[in-house]
Amino acid sequence: MIRLASLLLILIGLYGIFSSRNVIKILIGVNVMELGVNIFIISVGFFKGGIAPILTADSFSSAMKFVDPLAQAMVLTSIVIGLGITALGLVFARKIHAQYDTYDLGAIGGGKDD
Amino acid sequence: MINPVFMIAIPLILAFLSLVAARIKKWLLLSGVLINIAILFFLEKGETVIGGFKPPFGINLILDNYSMVGLALAGLLLLAGVVLSLDKADKYSTVLLTALAGINGMLLTGDLFNLFIFMEITIISAYILSTAGKKPEYSFNYLVIGSIGSVFYLAGLVVFYSLTGTLNMADLAAQNLSMGTPELLVPLFLIFTAFAIEAKLIPFGGWVKGVYGNSNRLTGALFASVYASTVLFVFGRVFNEVFALSGAVQTIIVLIGVVTFAFGEAAAFRQVKMRRILLYSSIGQSGLAAALFALGLIFPAVLLVISNAVSKFIMFSITGKLREIYKTDDYTDLKGVFFSNKLTGIAFSISAMSLIGLPLFFGFYAKLNALTALFNGGNWFIPAVILLFAIVEGAYFIRLLIALWAPGKEGEIADKSHAVGEIRIFNIKKSILVFILSLVILAAGLIPDLAGKLISSDSGFMGGDGPAFTMSQLKGGE
Amino acid sequence: MNLTIILAVTVVLAVVSFFITRLNKKAGGFLTVIASLFAFVGLFLLKGSIGGEFSIFYFSFKITMVGWYFALIMVLAYSMTSFFNPFWMDKMMYPGSYNFMYLLSMAGTIGMFFAKDFITLFIFWETVVWSSTFIIQLGKSRKASYVYYVVSAIGSMATLFAIMMAYSVSGTFVISEAFAGLSGGAAIAVFFTFILSGLAKIGIFPFHVWLPAAHGNAPHTFSPVLSGGLVKMGAFIAFLSVTAFPAYEIFSGMFKVMGTPFPIYFLMALGAISIIVGTLMAIKQEDAKKLLAYSSVANGGYILIGILMLDQVGFAGGMMHLVNHAVASAAAFLAIAAVAYRTGTTKMSEMGGMIHRMPVTYIVYLVAIISMAGIPPMGGFVSKWLIFQGLADKGMLFLAAAAFFGSIGSFMYVFRPLSAVFLGQTFTRDLKKKEVGFFMMLPMLILTALSILAGVFPNTILRVITEIQASVGISPVTLAENTIVTVNGYLDAFRVFIVFGFGFTIAFVIFIVRRKSKKVELMDTYTSAEFIHTRELLHYSSKFYAPFERLYDKAPDTMKLYKKIAVKIGELGNLTESLFYGHKPEKTVFWVMITGIFVVIIGGVV
Repeated sequence: MIRLASLLLILIGLYGIFSSRNVIKILIGVNVMELGVNIFIISVGFFKGGIAPILTADSFSSAMKFVDPLAQAMVLTSIVIGLGITALGLVFARKIHAQYDTYDLGAIGGGKDD
Repeated sequence: MINPVFMIAIPLILAFLSLVAARIKKWLLLSGVLINIAILFFLEKGETVIGGFKPPFGINLILDNYSMVGLALAGLLLLAGVVLSLDKADKYSTVLLTALAGINGMLLTGDLFNLFIFMEITIISAYILSTAGKKPEYSFNYLVIGSIGSVFYLAGLVVFYSLTGTLNMADLAAQNLSMGTPELLVPLFLIFTAFAIEAKLIPFGGWVKGVYGNSNRLTGALFASVYASTVLFVFGRVFNEVFALSGAVQTIIVLIGVVTFAFGEAAAFRQVKMRRILLYSSIGQSGLAAALFALGLIFPAVLLVISNAVSKFIMFSITGKLREIYKTDDYTDLKGVFFSNKLTGIAFSISAMSLIGLPLFFGFYAKLNALTALFNGGNWFIPAVILLFAIVEGAYFIRLLIALWAPGKEGEIADKSHAVGEIRIFNIKKSILVFILSLVILAAGLIPDLAGKLISSDSGFMGGDGPAFTMSQLKGGE
Repeated sequence: MNLTIILAVTVVLAVVSFFITRLNKKAGGFLTVIASLFAFVGLFLLKGSIGGEFSIFYFSFKITMVGWYFALIMVLAYSMTSFFNPFWMDKMMYPGSYNFMYLLSMAGTIGMFFAKDFITLFIFWETVVWSSTFIIQLGKSRKASYVYYVVSAIGSMATLFAIMMAYSVSGTFVISEAFAGLSGGAAIAVFFTFILSGLAKIGIFPFHVWLPAAHGNAPHTFSPVLSGGLVKMGAFIAFLSVTAFPAYEIFSGMFKVMGTPFPIYFLMALGAISIIVGTLMAIKQEDAKKLLAYSSVANGGYILIGILMLDQVGFAGGMMHLVNHAVASAAAFLAIAAVAYRTGTTKMSEMGGMIHRMPVTYIVYLVAIISMAGIPPMGGFVSKWLIFQGLADKGMLFLAAAAFFGSIGSFMYVFRPLSAVFLGQTFTRDLKKKEVGFFMMLPMLILTALSILAGVFPNTILRVITEIQASVGISPVTLAENTIVTVNGYLDAFRVFIVFGFGFTIAFVIFIVRRKSKKVELMDTYTSAEFIHTRELLHYSSKFYAPFERLYDKAPDTMKLYKKIAVKIGELGNLTESLFYGHKPEKTVFWVMITGIFVVIIGGVV
């Protein structure tokens, strides 16, 4: 179920990028995709009834039902990279606006090469 | 012996330093690329474990012959690029140092998720470099498409992780997953898409035209040589060592590669702007190399990548500079420009002729190796396509060379009075640097066996893939 | 003499001449003369070591009779033409690289003819192609150079494909063994792709487009080499494709036309078409060099037909025609170059009466065209006679008809430059022009002498050809002391010479004794009170064959075919650009989705 939802999110993100021409909206599409894939990663490591992979007095054996910690570590990294890309994307968006006075890629009209 | 991890750590440290000490960042950059080359000679071959966790639990770096060639190529070309365009590189010192760390990491790492991180570092640096073209919409386009690639890569990666429980390349390969099965088709395709986007394969590389087409002499040269060859090197490793392709996936990928080659060459054929010609030619070459990698013909593919990278580096550098001087890269406006720049012109011509695959140049050896390997595999269709579009490739490059060398009206003999300008493209030192680079192509083409041996070492690549064709076999040795 | 020395010296001198030319242009030009003459003498002395095998670097060579024969013809063209080089240095944009490429391409041709394996052959072949491409661009047309490269590339890529395909079967590149084991469809594919570079180089229809472009527009000092020399490289490939590739044996089971397997007959028919096309197009030309270029197309057809026959008589004719055409066309191009050196043009309508100013050049040209047209007593007659004999022997009516047509037609086209350039009224502008100097006259005279000698003593050349015939295992042409004997009759070339010489002497005596002609100016004419301002219209050669040309002026231009293909490739490129590239991410997303869906479907099916 949760995997299906994550797949749906990726597809929604893709659709967003495909259908919109507004730079900000496209970036939101990218973010939705990233969200989808992050949830997907988490879902791979997760199973019902799993507990946080932290050794405590209650849970001290590796035979305990830990969820996969590696997937969560990957998601952390992925979120950070996603943040970086979004920030850079917003910089580009600002530059586009400064140069063409619009956020609409369609209005730039092909952007002739110099 | 030096631990390969310094290949990644030193540039990263220097990158941080360059933020702090912005005044000397130019020198930090220079020293970074120089140190990078210097320690290349002293690197410890084999596997390096990071952080004390033994693979497959921890991350490891693998320095074999294959990654060594990739490191040397990327490092040397980056050095040449920085030296040749230090004035432009100054502004991007931090970015370039980070890129160097990312590129070295990509080539060295033995872990798929680690590869993802280094790839992101490298690509983000590429996004930033692409802004040098002053066309933010293209940089943005690149960023969005690149992000889709990374999302796809992660998604595909995780599927494999859930199936095998490992992300270590060697460990994953040892699982002997049968790549032909339909269940693996989709995750494999997701990973392929990520590489295809970076390797400019049609139809995934939609960003290339804008980014390469608006590049300056630094970024164009780096994109087409350093970045392109690194991505292809990693592509070769991932789709040979980690996922041994077979069946339908292999056919699809090879087909995409061959189509990219054909379409790219056809698109280059109708261009008049030099950067466009070069970028579509890059796309074509990239497709060919990808197809060879997908077929498991690693050595010919590596030769092709190397010959293409060096040639494109020279040609993009010269083209970028020409555009700076004459405000255009339309070759019909640059007729006879090499008349007063003979050394640069010869370098450009040697590069172009090597790309076409004319004998006496290195590209010919690469082409012969590719053809022999393909025919040895019982494949005649791909060689036919390669040779057919080699005619097209030759046609547009020779047309370009003729225009740049010999100006003159049709019906009158070539005359220098029609030549464009007498401005020096590069000053004498830089001309000599470019010329020496082109001499490397010529020398490697004249003694191809030695060059081939230098590249493949004795052990060959990944399970001993070595030359399919050597000149010495002509003497009837084998 | 040693081939290693010849090759090494030519290559080193090529580099040296590049630098010397930078110091002194003329000296560089003279160096090409020395280098090519050295190569010629060296090659001549190489005859003793025929049969030897050796390797230089990774190239392996085998000195064969046929290679020696071809190389000698080639270097003859190079060395004779090189005499003109020093005088053209000032007109070249890049004299240094011209000299370098001139000698490099010569070394390439030498290496190519002695190659033992196909890779060596291909390397030298392509070196010749690219170095000559860079020479041609210095001439009158950049497009010509481009056309030359593209047509050559079509041929050489096809040949490389054939070499590789043969290699995948036989496992060797050695010329004599590479084609072993081929049969069926693969054999046909290899045969046709292999010979393609030969066809392209000889200028066989439909690859003939490069000859008028390149010969007509190359620097005047390179056209003789192109026509007299480089075209013969193609003949060598044609030779290999019936000997090294044993076409007659492999195709022996196939459908035969007049006893010749269909694939071979098909190529011979292409040769016949080239004869017709070359002749008809030559008749049309306004430019003397283009005219000669088309005549090379026609002569290439003869050579191809002769060589492909691989029999006793026709083959000997084809091989001998190599020499005759090389000598004659080099001489003719040199003569035109000599005239151009003085007048600065090659357009026939802009010249006239040069016989009064340049009588020696006139004689050189006259002898050359007589040989080209195949009129006794010049060499061209003997070789064409042999080819006719061969064709008649086999009863190949269509080919023989084409060959006869070409012979008759050649009277028409060779006469035109003769009358336009040399005869008629001298232009006032040219009245003070002088004959070229002795240094330039020398090669022309040598070539003229060779043309005549080949016609008077053909057996000298034919004896070499008999050895070639023996080496490829066909029965040699029968030679008596001074006569050539075939099934249908015999030819005593010396007697023919005596007869023609006698006739010529009588005519000459009459001409001298009864000299009554009066020299008039071109405009000195009765025009019915009309003023004529365009003197070109009054020129003897303008609209020379207009009624005849009208018969075929609607004939399709082969160049259009190539242009169409180029347009199609461009359209594919356009499509690629518009489909996949832009500044909006949506295009790529679309394609990613499409490919994704496609892959999922494939996954479902598999």
